[in-house]
Amino acid sequence: MEYLVSLAVLIGIYVILSSSFNLIIGFGGLISIAHPIFFALGAYTTGLLAIHCGIHPLLAVLAGGTVAFFASMMLSLPSLRISGDYLLITSIGFQLGLLEVIKHLSFTGGASGLGNIPNVVDGSSRSTVFAVVSCVVASAVVLIIRWLLTGPYGRVISAMRDDELAFSALGRNAMMIKLALFAIGSGFAGIAGGIYAYYYQYISPDQFEILQSAMLLTMVVVGGMGSHLGPVVGAVLLLLLPQAISFMNLPPSVMAPLQGVIFTTLVIIFLFWRPQGLIAPAQRQAQRKP
Amino acid sequence: MIDLSILLQIVWTGLSASSYAVLFAVAFSLVLKVVKVWNFAQAGLMALSFYAMYALHALLGLPLLASVGLGVLITIAASVFMDRFGLQTLRNRLSPNLTFFIFTLVVSEFLAYLLAMIFGTEPVALTQSIMSGVNIINGIVISNWDIQALCITAVLLALLYLFIAKTRDGQFMAAVADNPELARFYGISVKRAYLVTFVISAILVTTGMYLFGTRASVIPNTPLQMMLFAVIATLLGDMGHIFGAALAAIALSLIQGLSIFVIPSQWQGLILYVFLFVTILFFPQGVNFKKFKQLTRTPKTA
Repeated sequence: MEYLVSLAVLIGIYVILSSSFNLIIGFGGLISIAHPIFFALGAYTTGLLAIHCGIHPLLAVLAGGTVAFFASMMLSLPSLRISGDYLLITSIGFQLGLLEVIKHLSFTGGASGLGNIPNVVDGSSRSTVFAVVSCVVASAVVLIIRWLLTGPYGRVISAMRDDELAFSALGRNAMMIKLALFAIGSGFAGIAGGIYAYYYQYISPDQFEILQSAMLLTMVVVGGMGSHLGPVVGAVLLLLLPQAISFMNLPPSVMAPLQGVIFTTLVIIFLFWRPQGLIAPAQRQAQRKP
Repeated sequence: MIDLSILLQIVWTGLSASSYAVLFAVAFSLVLKVVKVWNFAQAGLMALSFYAMYALHALLGLPLLASVGLGVLITIAASVFMDRFGLQTLRNRLSPNLTFFIFTLVVSEFLAYLLAMIFGTEPVALTQSIMSGVNIINGIVISNWDIQALCITAVLLALLYLFIAKTRDGQFMAAVADNPELARFYGISVKRAYLVTFVISAILVTTGMYLFGTRASVIPNTPLQMMLFAVIATLLGDMGHIFGAALAAIALSLIQGLSIFVIPSQWQGLILYVFLFVTILFFPQGVNFKKFKQLTRTPKTA
């Protein structure tokens, strides 16, 4: 039972991450893979505030989200003003570069990671509390993104993504929309990082490497890029799938790469045979109707 | 006061270390120029070529030269397979850039995971010993590996230049790089140009991994970091100018080596990322290497 509850915590966290990543890549059309670094910034900010300042967990998690929100501008401001392809390249450099910094700073725990993050929920119901919190926050994030994208602001985002030139010709500021989308998505990733830090009480730079980017990308592509529920389905499916492999009793040295092989194979299969993912975006579904 | 012999030693070491970086940068830049794809799958292909050579030489006991030859063939086969059954399908569907990016990145990661599953994540080198004989000339240590690496790189670059400038396939590649639609109109096979590009890229990548693998140990994820170097060199070297990328790779290697005088060694890895940001911010179209225009100029006859 404890195992299933821990899985629920992880599902909540990854639903936040995949939905916010979908906001950036699927709805905004911004080609970045640096989402895990904002997850890391949120986790490290929360962890450090909890260890050194002892502030209220809610404030620490919100601070994590705020740091990720503003840090995203360090990446988006220089790269977005040039062209979309540059964002992709800078995002890889930004992620690896910041992780390199974290690995060499003593106050972040260096390469060995940051431990001793205080436990904020005692007792046997600890995991249950975290599962409820992460799932509630995940639902809130999905609903906020849905609300954001179905209103007038959503139509503006769709117009910008579909034809940026025409959008700009109408006097709209595409750059501001992109910056805002990127910052909001990154802020949500920071909040997920805060919950992660409090739950696991230990974080290390290795947890936020490029492989994490691949996992999030898989969740979004398999679930359905640009659909509201796609990343949720993708996150749940791809967190449950490895559990089936775990019953094969393979050694850990084979298990981790095998999971990676399965993830990447799924992405390739979906890219060619079902590019719209398991849940097609609403617009495309509507187009198919006679 | 900096000792001149130390300075010269760092410059020499940086120059020799740039040999494989140059090959990776040229391979990346060539595919970008002709095929118009940011080929992030190159990292996976680099890992594949290394482990193919490692399996053939270190595990099966084949001579090193034969292993390199077979490694080249395996990497060519994988590259061509990826182009024909992956990229070509996406091109036919007029897929957006994002799809190409996801595909190449995922292919790269698929290969890295697959190789980690087969060979594990322990660092391995191509040869039992990565030590090489050394010669001391005027106080500078010059290893046999340095000489071999620089010679191989210089010969390959010269051959590539001659291939592009003097052969029909090379000229067709240049024409396709300039305007694929117009090239097709003139009866040039664009598919063949892409095929030749990936074959050349595979040769460069395998040779680079041979050089790297005889000097250092590799794990399946090592090539990703090395490919980032190639990406930055491509950006710096005037995007799509193949030999500009080579010069940028040499400059980056030297700067990384010489940075030891101004920053602590543990922060040296960061220089690459600083360069990435500076390039994107101030040189989005690359640095114009006017002095080397003769090398980078596209042949006029096609």
